[in-house]
Amino acid sequence: MSKDNNIAIKVDNVTKSFKVFYDKPSTLKERLVFWNKKKVDERVVLKNINVDINKGETVALIGTNGSGKSTLLKLMTQIIYPTKGKIKTWGKLTSLLELGAGFHPDFTGRENIYFNASIFGLTRKEINERLDQIIEFSELGELIDNPVRTYSSGQYMRLAFSVAINVNAEILLIDEILAVGDQHFQDKCFAKLHELKDSGKTIVIVSHSMESIKNLCDRAIWIYEGEVREDGKVNDVVKDYIKVCG
Amino acid sequence: MINRIYRYREFLKTNVKKDIRGKYKGSFLGVLWSFINPLLMALVYAIVFPFILKNSQSNYVTFIVIGILPWTFLTTVIQQGTFCIIANGGIIKKVYFPREILPISVATSGLVNFFIALPIIILFCVFSGLGLSWYALLFPLIALTQYILLLGIIFISSAINVYIRDVEYIIQFMVNMLFYGTPVLYSATLFPAKYRWILNLNPMTTLINSYRDIFYYQKFPDFTMLGIVFACSALLLFIGINVFKKLERRFAEEV
Repeated sequence: MSKDNNIAIKVDNVTKSFKVFYDKPSTLKERLVFWNKKKVDERVVLKNINVDINKGETVALIGTNGSGKSTLLKLMTQIIYPTKGKIKTWGKLTSLLELGAGFHPDFTGRENIYFNASIFGLTRKEINERLDQIIEFSELGELIDNPVRTYSSGQYMRLAFSVAINVNAEILLIDEILAVGDQHFQDKCFAKLHELKDSGKTIVIVSHSMESIKNLCDRAIWIYEGEVREDGKVNDVVKDYIKVCG
Repeated sequence: MINRIYRYREFLKTNVKKDIRGKYKGSFLGVLWSFINPLLMALVYAIVFPFILKNSQSNYVTFIVIGILPWTFLTTVIQQGTFCIIANGGIIKKVYFPREILPISVATSGLVNFFIALPIIILFCVFSGLGLSWYALLFPLIALTQYILLLGIIFISSAINVYIRDVEYIIQFMVNMLFYGTPVLYSATLFPAKYRWILNLNPMTTLINSYRDIFYYQKFPDFTMLGIVFACSALLLFIGINVFKKLERRFAEEV
């Protein structure tokens, strides 16, 4: 497909800016009445980002709130599109930006596994193959046949995480969702991520937990005010980051 | 695009299922409501209208039922369809999937509901003494044409509605108005021949006439008109897909 066969994600000179409307005209009347006094600011969130992520790499994106790391992750997922530049990905990609997307509270856990996994692009056959694995990982046991609205928030997240992690994509994009469930389940999630990493998956993760990043990732990219400030070995980048922002 | 949608076919399927089953979850009669609703509507019209309109139609209830069901198909799909991107804002912001799936699944669940309601038409035809003829087998062809027409409309309306929320209300008004400009309650022949071409500009006229032809009059529909409507619908669908593709890039930022 490409000459860069080794690359999983290629971010090529990407700039993303959002329009900030002070009074966003969302109705026709407002658009017609205020057409000439629209107050629009362009806020540039990412500036000329160039990042190549190789296959099999585990990369952390770090930075303070509002630095643009989540936006970069969303761009990689193709939820939003860059204002300038290009993003290309090779391989099946799953994003865990939000857990439980498409859950319907009135349906049972089992039915919701089908809904949720289908959003990730799995076919029925693929879901059937993974069903037992997902249920076992969630540790919900018999609760799986109860409507999701009866779940506690922890159980809800456990089910959602179990689906997302078992989708079996080649590239995983994860945004701050590792604070799932109790200590025991968190440990299990990390063990699973290590397992995925060892099996050669590409993982990009946004997190503020430096300990878990150092533990899991090889490489870290520090995003500072929309630009790449440092890109390198995880220990070095984290050390510098803590020096400045810690 | 077709390739991408095919890959996400399970999502399309569960979405359609969720639409049909989820809509009536918690109600006692469940899916039966998709029968009862248009049926009650037809009965109300059948009771009220003979008083207002002098109609010479025999089997007026059957006549209306054949018109009402396709009309319900249109209104549900257009109402839900126009709103479908905004309604799914939550997942659009969080997960990647081909956005086209959303309007497609609204139209498809409408079509499935329409087929589920088909026995009503058949029952009315049989019990009113009209009987059923082989022409009824043309039903899927007409329904498919209507499906393509509706799909084209909601591709455009759902995408624009993200940016200009008024579309919802404009469309609702237009649909309400169009009801009287479509021969649902009356026969197109009631119109003076001089002005009938105006009625024929409305694609629903041809579609409802065709449904009536195969069930009520039991003859071949006007294939020329049906062909024109089919071609226009296909063109509209093509335009709709392109408009949708242009506008979908900023859905996640705007919903």
